[in-house]
Amino acid sequence: MLVYNFTLALRSLRERIQLTILMVLAIAIGIGLLITVQTMSYQGDKIPLAHKADKIFFVQADNRDIGAEPIVRQPFMTYLTYRDANNIINADTPASKHTTVWKSDVILNSFDQDVRPFRASTVVTNNNFFSMFDVPFQYGGAWSESADRGAEPVVILTKESNDLLFGGKNSVGQQLRVNALTVTVVGVMAEWNLGRRFYDESYRMGRKDTAFIPDTFAIKNNINRRERLDCLPQDRDKQTAYRTKDVDGLINSECTFVRLWAELPDPNLADQYREFLTQYVMSQKELGRFPRELNNYVTSLYTMVTLRNELNGSRNPLAYIAPLFFIVCLLNAIGILLAKFMRKSKEVSLRRALGAKKWVLMTQYLFEVLIVGVLGGIVGTALAYLGLQGMLHVQIYQSDYAVTAQALSHAFALDWVMMAKSILTAMVSSVVIGLYPIWRVVNIAPASQLKSQ
Amino acid sequence: MLRMENVSKIFRTELIETHALRDVNLHIKKGEFVSITGPSGSGKTTFLNLAGLLETFEQGDYFLDGVNVKGMSDNQISALRNEKIGFVFQSFNLIPDLPLFDNVDVPLRYRGFNRGERKERIENALEIVGLSSRLKHLPTQLSGGQQQRVAIARAIAGDPAFLLADEPTGNLDSMMAQSVMELLEKINDNGTTIIMVTHDDQLAKRAGRNIQIFDGQVSDIALDSSDVLIKRA
Amino acid sequence: MEFRPILLSLKQNKFLSLLISVQVMLTVTVLSIATSITVETLKAWNMPSGLDHENIVSVRTQFFDPEVNLANAIVNDVNRIKQIPGVIEVTPNQEIPFDAGRPSKVYLSSEQDAEGFDTNFFDMNVDGHKVLGLTLIAGRFFNQTEVIQSSAEQATPVSVVMISQDMAKELFKDHSPLGKTLYLAKESQPVQIIGVYSNFMNGERLNGRGKSYHTIMRPQVIWQHGNNPNYLIKVEQGSAASLFEPITQALYQTPGRYIYGIEKLTRTQKRMYDGRGSQGAILLVVSLVLVLIAGFGVAGLVSFLITQRQKQIGIRRALGATKWSVIRYFIVENSMLTIFGLLMGTLLTMLFSYLMTQGSGQSFLSFSQVLYCSVFIWLINIAAVWLPARRAAKVSPAIVTRSA
Repeated sequence: MLVYNFTLALRSLRERIQLTILMVLAIAIGIGLLITVQTMSYQGDKIPLAHKADKIFFVQADNRDIGAEPIVRQPFMTYLTYRDANNIINADTPASKHTTVWKSDVILNSFDQDVRPFRASTVVTNNNFFSMFDVPFQYGGAWSESADRGAEPVVILTKESNDLLFGGKNSVGQQLRVNALTVTVVGVMAEWNLGRRFYDESYRMGRKDTAFIPDTFAIKNNINRRERLDCLPQDRDKQTAYRTKDVDGLINSECTFVRLWAELPDPNLADQYREFLTQYVMSQKELGRFPRELNNYVTSLYTMVTLRNELNGSRNPLAYIAPLFFIVCLLNAIGILLAKFMRKSKEVSLRRALGAKKWVLMTQYLFEVLIVGVLGGIVGTALAYLGLQGMLHVQIYQSDYAVTAQALSHAFALDWVMMAKSILTAMVSSVVIGLYPIWRVVNIAPASQLKSQ
Repeated sequence: MLRMENVSKIFRTELIETHALRDVNLHIKKGEFVSITGPSGSGKTTFLNLAGLLETFEQGDYFLDGVNVKGMSDNQISALRNEKIGFVFQSFNLIPDLPLFDNVDVPLRYRGFNRGERKERIENALEIVGLSSRLKHLPTQLSGGQQQRVAIARAIAGDPAFLLADEPTGNLDSMMAQSVMELLEKINDNGTTIIMVTHDDQLAKRAGRNIQIFDGQVSDIALDSSDVLIKRA
Repeated sequence: MEFRPILLSLKQNKFLSLLISVQVMLTVTVLSIATSITVETLKAWNMPSGLDHENIVSVRTQFFDPEVNLANAIVNDVNRIKQIPGVIEVTPNQEIPFDAGRPSKVYLSSEQDAEGFDTNFFDMNVDGHKVLGLTLIAGRFFNQTEVIQSSAEQATPVSVVMISQDMAKELFKDHSPLGKTLYLAKESQPVQIIGVYSNFMNGERLNGRGKSYHTIMRPQVIWQHGNNPNYLIKVEQGSAASLFEPITQALYQTPGRYIYGIEKLTRTQKRMYDGRGSQGAILLVVSLVLVLIAGFGVAGLVSFLITQRQKQIGIRRALGATKWSVIRYFIVENSMLTIFGLLMGTLLTMLFSYLMTQGSGQSFLSFSQVLYCSVFIWLINIAAVWLPARRAAKVSPAIVTRSA
């Protein structure tokens, strides 16, 4: 019986095939846009470093003046002072590792006069950065702990910067200059597909950082701080000097610019860490620092990213438009389906008169809409692929071709999850839109249509 | 009232020409009750369509109330149909979506009457057919006989010059058929010309005049009018 | 008009009627949101630049070697660039047209609560106006003695400035700005306005606030490590692209520096608009596709309704309806459903715009947009009904005597 119904369904789809095609197209176009938009937000909302996002924590303590603005968006509050970050790293905490991050722009220039210098967006950090964030290396590796301690002139390049400076060769041990300072390459990173760059809280997808240098080295040599310095009101006039010149003043000041990340061996130790942080801030309060009420946050990477996603969620107007668009497409499909089914009123009433049961007819028509749904899903997935490619190129155009398609493609990639979702959505919605037309058609009275013949 | 001179209707396909009606000459006077009979395929329906201005014809002249309809535009014909002719069909042909009141209203709207006049005419017509209490019912809520009465009310509401009835009792049982016929006769008595197509000889005989169509040709048989008069009395 | 019978008839076809109305509702919602956002985004889109941007080159450069003598370097740079055949004028500057940074505020009085006026400063040498090709509207251009050339530490503030036409209009309405004083910051020394020049585009930020041409030109070239000047170069017609390499080479003659961008201002201009442009284009394309789909949908539904009502149409024709009144019937019927859908859609649009702007609190919705979209969709729907309705009008009235 099911096979019979299936063949009937197929035959019915073949007759008046234009209507079938229209219906498949209606569903496909709707699905196409919907999945395009959903894939973008799905890829955009993915948690970077997902396997340990619950063990990596961002540490914040509010050291601003009493009159500072209240905290509304927690993850974007303040960073730590250089002093506090180092005090915490050196204290006895539940964390197994700490790393600090601040950003700079340096000019990398080769001793080879034929290689023109270029500006590198630079991460200033310590050696734990590479193990905490699972950085892959093509050549060499992270600098040693002693390099951190000794403020050694070392640099880690990325594949991109190594290509520019050394033509992609193994450059470990080679020398180049960071601004006017001679440094030695200790490692070259392999392609690091982080998704979004969470460690500097920019959550950028495209342009990558191209150099990594030790914090101690950067402070010692007064590498400029490309950071928002948040100083107490009495120090605000010194901010410009702190950013480019007065590094000693900066590290002894109350200006915050250092991001502190901690890795805990077990997520459950977070409370213990919070307890520690409270103790620390209380002890500093006794020294007359941290004038405000306690605003300490120890936030897992997972939560950080989730909070960020929530803030971003309502931005894209297409996210609102796509579902509406999809519904309109489905309404169209209902209309076509209804027209198609009602044309067969006579056939149905004849079948009913010849003894076909309602549920038998129902399965036949259900097959029919399901086939339409699957076809719509498949075509829709193909359209979504094209849509994503289009969006990728728009993105590249918008960034004035400063990003490569390769660097961005992961954000516009259609993976199995989304493909399955696409086809499933198409099937479910085809059944939903089939409900009313099927209900209408199976409720045609037997032979009612024959009477007037 | 209604005069056809040498009217012919030809259906053409690529291969053949069929003369559905051939040289019809006919004169029906005001106030007559004429029945049209003939076997299936004889051209009855074609005659009805021509007389009712539902179809155009190729040859001859057709004078309706003194006006030659030949060569009129579609709009003029529509207006003429609306004004001069009332239709009563075998399958009633009420508009299923509309309640009685609005079904009767349809031709009056096309006539361009104002709202007050339409209301008065609708109520009058439904009064005549005895359905004035059911203005808001939908056609499907009525029996066949009642539906046909509504159709008759719709046909007469605009005071047409003649009523064209196509097997008006064909879908009705004999009781209802009887009352519908009586209604038509009553309307005829009030001066409305009636042309009724039927295959039922008994019904045909109740008309004052019978026209038979065989193979597209018309033969006119005047019935004994005294006979008819006696029956009605 | 036959509103009553149409309404009664719609009551009997609730589902299909609702289908049409809901389609219209969603379509107008999407279209209104999309066009409102697009109009908002494209506000001040591609305004005249006031510049010969195809023949002006900008170079962004940075010294990374702290030992470089910036004063000499800048003098050398300017001389070397000037000597390149094809170069007409050159000036050091900070801001680049189409890409000006955070706006500054200027004041008409020194009072604490004086009203601030948004502007971008363009710091150039005496040739600045020639590079940009500005026309003198009033007063005079700078002379060489007025130009401050100094390191940031030793710089004295300028005493004279020129302002753009639009800036003058905002600050002084119809009065002449010549000789008036201006405070370039709170608690600063006043400066005197000596001239007014023709408008040119500042950048995205003020463009977004409708102050695209609000600029002030200061006669100064200031240098400092980590913050040294860029160059704007006026070149001969059409020669810009071919001069990138010679200019780059000339600048690299000073070691310890890095050049991170050389381009025509045309490219800068493109960058200023392309984000908005592509977003607007995507939204518009999507919503036009939607309108198209919905139009087809309406045409399909109406055509289905008409097929179902063949007999009814024949009856109406038999009862005296002209062809036009059959067409009119369907147009009126559809318009009633459309208008109902449009009204619902307007409410839905308001709801959505409320949801979408909850974060920012800034409404992008404009009612005139919603109105235009509604009228547009109505017209599209009339067009969508037109063809099936024409088919309906061809139904022969003789259908009533068939199958009887």
